[in-house]
Amino acid sequence: MLNVILWLPLAAGVLALVAPRATVRWTVLAGALGTLVLAVVLAFDFTVGDAALQHAVDESWIPDLGVRYQLGVDGISLFLVVLTALLWEGAVAFSALRGYPEDGRVRLYYFLLALAETAALGAFLAQDLLLFVLFFDLMLVPFFFLIGAFGNGERIVATTKMIVYTLVGSLLMLVGAIAVAILVSQQTGELSFSMQTLSENLLSTGNQTWIFCFFAAAFLVKMPAFPIHGWMPDAYRAAPIPVLVLLSGVLAKVGAYGFLRVALPIFPDATADLQELVLVIGVASILYGSVMAFTQNDTRLVAGYSSVAQLGFITIGIFSLRPEGANGAVLQMVNHGLVVAGIFLIIAVLWARTGTDDLRRMGGQALRAPVLAALFLVVTLATLAMPGSANFIGEFYILNGVFQSKIVFAFVAATGVAMAAFYALRLYQRTMHNRLPEGATSREISLRDGVVLAPLVAVIVGLALYPGLILDRGEASVAGKIEAVAMADCADESFARSDGGRYVLAFGACADDRYGINDELEEQIRNRLDDTPGGGRWTGYGPVVTTDPLVELSTRGAFSPHSDDNSSAPSLPSPFPR
Amino acid sequence: MSPTDFAWLVLGFPLLGSLVIALGFRVLPARVAGVIGTTAIALAFASTIGALITLLDQPSDAQQLTDSLWDYASASGLEIRLGILVDPLSVFMCLVVTGVSTLIHLYSVGYMGSDEGYRRFFSYLNFFVFSMLLLVLAGNFIFLIVGWAFVGFASYALISFWYRRHTATKAGMKAFVINVIGDVGMVLAAFFVFRELGTFELLDSFDAARETFSTNQGVVIAICCLLLVGAVAKSAQLPLHTWLPDAMEGPTPVSALIHAATMVTAGVYLIARTFPLFELAPTAADIGAFIGLATLLVAATIALAVVDLKRIIAYSTMSQIGYMVMGVSIGAYAGGLFMLMAHAFFKALLFMAAGSVISAMANNQSIDRMSGFRRALPYTSALLLIGALALAAFPGTSGFFAKDEILGFAANRGGMYWVFAIGGYAGALLTAIYSFRIGFRVVAGEPSDEAREFEQGHMSHGERVDGHPVNPATGEVEDVDVGFPGAEHHVAERSRPMAVAMGALGVLALFGGLIQVPGVDAVLEHFLDPTFESSPLYAIAPSTGDAWLGLAVGGVISAAGIAIAYFFYVARRGSTARLIERLPGLHKFLFHKWYFDELEDALVYRPAIAIGRFASSTFERYVVDGIVAGAAGFVRGAGEVVRGAQSGFVRAYALLLLGGFAALGVYFLVAAS
Repeated sequence: MLNVILWLPLAAGVLALVAPRATVRWTVLAGALGTLVLAVVLAFDFTVGDAALQHAVDESWIPDLGVRYQLGVDGISLFLVVLTALLWEGAVAFSALRGYPEDGRVRLYYFLLALAETAALGAFLAQDLLLFVLFFDLMLVPFFFLIGAFGNGERIVATTKMIVYTLVGSLLMLVGAIAVAILVSQQTGELSFSMQTLSENLLSTGNQTWIFCFFAAAFLVKMPAFPIHGWMPDAYRAAPIPVLVLLSGVLAKVGAYGFLRVALPIFPDATADLQELVLVIGVASILYGSVMAFTQNDTRLVAGYSSVAQLGFITIGIFSLRPEGANGAVLQMVNHGLVVAGIFLIIAVLWARTGTDDLRRMGGQALRAPVLAALFLVVTLATLAMPGSANFIGEFYILNGVFQSKIVFAFVAATGVAMAAFYALRLYQRTMHNRLPEGATSREISLRDGVVLAPLVAVIVGLALYPGLILDRGEASVAGKIEAVAMADCADESFARSDGGRYVLAFGACADDRYGINDELEEQIRNRLDDTPGGGRWTGYGPVVTTDPLVELSTRGAFSPHSDDNSSAPSLPSPFPR
Repeated sequence: MSPTDFAWLVLGFPLLGSLVIALGFRVLPARVAGVIGTTAIALAFASTIGALITLLDQPSDAQQLTDSLWDYASASGLEIRLGILVDPLSVFMCLVVTGVSTLIHLYSVGYMGSDEGYRRFFSYLNFFVFSMLLLVLAGNFIFLIVGWAFVGFASYALISFWYRRHTATKAGMKAFVINVIGDVGMVLAAFFVFRELGTFELLDSFDAARETFSTNQGVVIAICCLLLVGAVAKSAQLPLHTWLPDAMEGPTPVSALIHAATMVTAGVYLIARTFPLFELAPTAADIGAFIGLATLLVAATIALAVVDLKRIIAYSTMSQIGYMVMGVSIGAYAGGLFMLMAHAFFKALLFMAAGSVISAMANNQSIDRMSGFRRALPYTSALLLIGALALAAFPGTSGFFAKDEILGFAANRGGMYWVFAIGGYAGALLTAIYSFRIGFRVVAGEPSDEAREFEQGHMSHGERVDGHPVNPATGEVEDVDVGFPGAEHHVAERSRPMAVAMGALGVLALFGGLIQVPGVDAVLEHFLDPTFESSPLYAIAPSTGDAWLGLAVGGVISAAGIAIAYFFYVARRGSTARLIERLPGLHKFLFHKWYFDELEDALVYRPAIAIGRFASSTFERYVVDGIVAGAAGFVRGAGEVVRGAQSGFVRAYALLLLGGFAALGVYFLVAAS
């Protein structure tokens, strides 16, 4: 299933290289549509409440390097896969219906789009760290060409800047990935890039910290976050609109997703230690992005800086290190992808009517275009996280998480909510309201643009009615990542307790205070451990098992409550001295 | 059917009406939109009656009912259901909202008759009513906030309804952003409630609060202060009131609906709804009461000086809401809500009458230009005076009994609360003066040109440029495509729907106060009892004798105010001009509305824009780009080399990328072995 989803777009892209010219775009569109259908099937097929990977694929790939071809989907990546498929379908359809690219290099353009889709899906599906890094970097290459060869204005400068920034990030990440695998192999004696293995065999806090920083740099550049967003304004001005939809709608999410998928489970101690640093970056992104968004006159940059602010919210949600904050961040990733795609498509539609991206030379478009105005209004309200939209629930979960863990950050971030109202509404008013400038015309959205935009808006409205759809599916997987950090950070205070012949975990007050792992969640974790096949062995790094009830633990070890030979448990030495 | 079933219908009809009109905008004939809109609200009113009857069938200790439709967003330890709370308070609010809104819809059918945006108008109007009903029926903080924000959005949409006027779009933006500030306060309050009490449900949190918090504990004060931020922003209290007068840019029925009868009362409702929290935080309640007192006095003084008819009424709204906020903050829940109801009647009536006059004035809103409409518009004039009497709390009218119930309660509580009673009576004098400043200047005196023209059977069409109407307030040429009350103007004398709506409100404004007369009856108080039974303050009431003493004082003050207005605006017309000459500083201060707009501009708007400009012109260029200055310099150099071969240049980078990967990989493999 996952293999088909992953490779179908590229297959269509390759087919397009040899297909008759006239059918190139429809071939790739068919591939994207097929992927979307499969992704939706995947979402329906998903088992709610299961934290583990589903539809997992695990093949040996490069045995000498310990690289495996591991794919899987869980509650964190599920809707990001659907989002990717949806936005790609939208971007390809928008290009195809409008006859992009105008200069006739159709094969190259559509092939690159298809390649990029496979790479983006690969980044969301990969469960092997090296595979993740490869897809992550592969994803960038088609975008360099798409902007460099098909962009407008200062496209070369833009591409260059983007390459410089992302290249530095990518190299750091690659170094980090190799380093973590090698350092872990020194503990286990076997080289492996499997994220599962890496998260079960943690590095010392010192090593975690520097490798975490390498990964964080790559992720933050990708988002982009303040102050390393320097590539964003040029790239956003130069990129063709369909490419921009993907760049902002999907690629930015890979960075945030990387924190949840890689940083939290593999570097939990570093995550806990550097929480406040990342929160500061997140809050700074919110404030800076918002302030910039309401002073820009270029519609693309208003949307671009608003994305910086929105990604700031997602970052602080993850780094609230609370289940609700991180779950809200997952929801918000999907929400933001949808609204920012909508905004960029509308910017393209407006450009066709005004010939400009400059807000000062726009206005009055609502006059003869009530449908366009209504669609734009829905997108605008979702962007500013109007209560009643799924974006509001996302922000509410995020801010609630931050509020519970670091209250000051929540208060500061809340000002970003008010500023979002101003910049989003400003964008809407300056384009749709007031008077038409000389030379501009107001006309209704065309059918070919409408068939791309309307489904997006329909999804936004649908999610507004039931945001629980995503939250329910994300809950268990997200909680697992937060637990990983909680367990690492609170190991000193956690307990293993004998309870009628089995051993159960008891988290210390630290887990509740800092991570919101309350009695209810603790119960869920225990039940999950009991249900784990293979004797309930929890493949994490819990407290050492002990026969004495309520013995305080200060070291880490494997937790094997259903082990047959309990007598060996008390003397079980910690295999990974810190 | 249970009360909650009816409550879902109350929510359903306006939403359905809004959607049907919005989706059918191309196929529905214009008139049909008005009929659908008005019918939807009338059906909501009928459903509210149904809820009322079924609720009264319940035993009094079971009159707080909750229900929910679906699990909206419950995960990760938070529980958020799409739930409602039906109790006497919410049913009372629904009655006021749907009842007055039905009449306003009816009025709009006439008033907006020739507007190009007729369908859009009714769709928004229905959505507004839906939002307000959601707000008052919400069973948890989340949907309270949703309704709260929907109301803010609906007001934005209707204020900037004539969206080709710059003044209208600006005013809409201001209303929306200030309302969002209120929303943020509410959201933060909800976080505190969740952290301390573990629930977002209203009733559950109240029960938990009584067990958890001690009186005046810091956190409960924080919760109440944050709730006050929401209430102050929505109810246009100091210092977040500046959007309300600007909101007069919307069509007049909008002013009647949103800015007088319902939306601005949301803050009063909020404080009354969360009274268990406020009673645990007397300090926050006192802050609320002082904000109310300050607002009622400040707004009343401004209403004496500004000359725009609708803005005078807007400031009077602010002032009257000040009474209500003060009332519910000091514990006069029944009084505050009674006032809310009475105010809804007479303020909607005043706006409707003002709309009729403004139509006859060809949309000129300056009272300096209005005069002597008693013969031209006899029906409108009569109802305007009824509204002014009720606003001035003239003995016997609805405003009379309502206002004195609050002030009597304050005096009865004694001690510090005397301040509120005395301040309230002082405000009452100002209220009576400005009420009849409106009344006398419009109705009495020599007929103005427009009034004379109307008496001759012709309606003034105002100034025209190339055949297009001009906005008298700004001199901007109007755009008839997006309305500006349409090509024709409508007055109550010639439009039956307008006349019927005004007539009904006139009756309610005059006699609505009789449901609660000290010593005679207390219908409202008894009805609301199940909601407030746990409040120790609810049981306190002044004795009948004291209450009548208060009423006597109120009556004298009202009559005195009207007499002063008569002196200035009828007996000695022009004496106000001399007063202005003698006190230029004071007049300027009041005319500029205590300079709140300028203060806001200087303290918030300008600094924010300046920071933004600095960020984009300086910081972005030198610091953000500077971070990679070295790299960028290198790239520029490389760019020179490969210029002309752009794809080759990108290819070089791609190769570099791969090469780098390979080198690093090799390095680490070697290092590992």
